[in-house]
Amino acid sequence: MIKIQLVDDEPNILSSLRRLLKPQGWEVHTYDNVESALGGLLEHNYAVIVSDYQMPTADGVTYLQFAKQRQPDAMRLVLSAHGDRTSMIKAINQAEVYRYLSKPWNDYEVVATIKSAIDLYQLKVENRQLQNEVDTQKAMLRAREQELLRLEAENPGITRVQRDADGSVLISNND
Amino acid sequence: MSKAAIPQSEQEMMNARLEQARRQLLQSEKLAAIGQLAAGVAHEINNPVGYVYSNLQSLESYLTDLFRLTDAVDSADSLDSLKAIKQNIDYEFVRHDLKDLLAESREGIERVKTIISAMKDFSHIEEEEFKPADIQRGIESTLNVVNNELKYKAEVTREFGDLPPVECIISQINQVVMNLLVNAAHAIDDFGEIRIRTREAGDTVIIEIEDTGRGISQDNINRIFEPFFTTKPIGKGTGLGLSLSFNIIEKHNGRIDVESALGKGTCFRIALPAKQPRAPEDS
Repeated sequence: MIKIQLVDDEPNILSSLRRLLKPQGWEVHTYDNVESALGGLLEHNYAVIVSDYQMPTADGVTYLQFAKQRQPDAMRLVLSAHGDRTSMIKAINQAEVYRYLSKPWNDYEVVATIKSAIDLYQLKVENRQLQNEVDTQKAMLRAREQELLRLEAENPGITRVQRDADGSVLISNND
Repeated sequence: MSKAAIPQSEQEMMNARLEQARRQLLQSEKLAAIGQLAAGVAHEINNPVGYVYSNLQSLESYLTDLFRLTDAVDSADSLDSLKAIKQNIDYEFVRHDLKDLLAESREGIERVKTIISAMKDFSHIEEEEFKPADIQRGIESTLNVVNNELKYKAEVTREFGDLPPVECIISQINQVVMNLLVNAAHAIDDFGEIRIRTREAGDTVIIEIEDTGRGISQDNINRIFEPFFTTKPIGKGTGLGLSLSFNIIEKHNGRIDVESALGKGTCFRIALPAKQPRAPEDS
């Protein structure tokens, strides 16, 4: 199940976003303060984290920076009513956000952005899984190769025994 | 004839020009303050507008679902198919959520309304005469306008006493209160407290604004009412806020005092006469 985390100090924003995202069938977790959102990071793996910019105890960029260390795969978005240059630059350079959305938002844009963020998240996760698979397969191959080398060293020629279709050992005349 | 009547004395002319310049300065400081606040106010309005707008679209999709159900009453061949539709649109959720959706949206619109009327109350640019006014209401409007500057910096507590109507130019008093509140917030490094007290003392009304900020050093405290004196970085403050506040209060025949302790905080106290002595001086 895809999990989405929403962080905003305004509960009414959170409930309207919840309404907006409900038909998508994602698991949406909402937090109205940074402290409990941090707690959420310890318990769940999120595909997408959407944070407000201006909040009482810590700003959204600081929070997302922390989230980046905790869950580097999660895609980070800012949804802010405070569209000034400094906050955008901070969001992009420090928190490396995927998109910077502004309030009031366009419903379609928010849903589409989260969808494409999820696609990227899944690509990252899939990429990591495939990479792991390749690594284990490579390790297995290497082990097998080494075993063969060892056998060959102990009993030269044993790895090159040729067999007939019925399994009987063929001895060539060349040796 | 008329030409001879005008230059009564050079000094009076100079005074008139000075007064005019001072008024222009006051007006431009006010506009600058409003400009600085505009970003904050936009933030305050964008939040409710954001969720109300989004809620309206959710409402539309709820209604589409509900109409699907009511339309089906005519066309459905059995009760079971109606029940299936009801199940399908998550009727219980929609029914429950509609109430919240409307209540939250109403709250959002109320907030926008409050901010807009506070800004109107706050500016009253056209009013330039002394009139009995409700100081507390003025403070509330001002708080609504600067809320965005304060709420991330301090908890605001109000200790309001019973006040008589005060004869004043309320928009100017609001401007003084705004200056003091914004300064208080700027003086606080992380998160502090701002206390606003009002009380009646004899014929005067006292307004106190106290913060738990950095405080003002002894060297600076004698200069804070000087024009263009500021300790804020360039672009943050004009250095005119307090000097104009001082002028405004002086014009109201009141007093403005300050007490400050470094590292502990600052308290500004404004004393205003409830009634202006005779006719307020023409200027």
